[in-house]
Amino acid sequence: MTLSVALGPDTQEGTRTGTVESTDSLTAPDIPWNLVIWNDPVNLMSYVSYVFQSYFGYSESKANKLMMEVHKKGRSIVASGSKEQVERHAVAMHGFGLWATVEKASGGNNDNSGNSGGPGQGKGKRG
Amino acid sequence: MAKAFKYGLKGITGYLEPAERDLLRSLINDVISMLQPEDRDGQDPLAALIGLDMDVAEPADRAVKRLLPNVMKDDAGASLEFRQLTERSLRETKIGALRAAALDLDKDEIVLTPDGARHWSMALNDVRLVLAERLDIQDEEDAEHVHLMQDWSQAEDVESYLALVYNFATWLQESLVQAMLQSLDSRR
Repeated sequence: MTLSVALGPDTQEGTRTGTVESTDSLTAPDIPWNLVIWNDPVNLMSYVSYVFQSYFGYSESKANKLMMEVHKKGRSIVASGSKEQVERHAVAMHGFGLWATVEKASGGNNDNSGNSGGPGQGKGKRG
Repeated sequence: MAKAFKYGLKGITGYLEPAERDLLRSLINDVISMLQPEDRDGQDPLAALIGLDMDVAEPADRAVKRLLPNVMKDDAGASLEFRQLTERSLRETKIGALRAAALDLDKDEIVLTPDGARHWSMALNDVRLVLAERLDIQDEEDAEHVHLMQDWSQAEDVESYLALVYNFATWLQESLVQAMLQSLDSRR
């Protein structure tokens, strides 16, 4: 695991030079993670939309669409990226008081379907 | 009576009566005291300095847990590991916003910069999350039920008083967020 979350925002200026790859790549393989926002009966719909617009820079219509998905379906994936990126978003969401979790993006085989412990799941295990 | 926040030439402005400001100040201070990290003896000062907290545990108080939720739904171990790295700075972020809002309560007329408005919206949200746990608002139906309580002359017990306070905070936050959305629009 990396300290990047605790040490403040990462600058993603796209100027990454191929010098020292951090050790995260050894423990957290480069698979996509999702940031999930969960519905709760307290947070205002307007506030949730405001957070999506101001923090992620989403348009009003995209923010409202995601907010309605949270409201109606109980949850919505609002961002994806590396584990470090979505964890950083999750901390920001917790700062705003939104109920956010991170989860591994499930590709073809959904590993949340209850068949845990099956073979061939070694890839992507946490260090 | 308080006036709803509005967005105008001066930025986002609002007005609260002295009694309303006292009420908000005490709510804010309650939440701050819930979030204040305890100073433990023997804690590694360098670890504390960079925000690490190896002794952190999942909060026992439901309201605190709502403010500082687990980052993974079904993995308590990984969530705890994440807490060790992030919880201290999250507490500090929240306390910072709450303190900033409390400072603005020293004046009758509240004039907010964009950052100030963000701090206020975060502070009001945390206040509402804590009140909602105390009122046991678990679903939309509970929220509706609490929302019906609007008449201060009905405040006859702690529960009804808390419901009225919650509704006041909700109204105030909604008006603030509407003003913030307008200000976002005008900057686009």
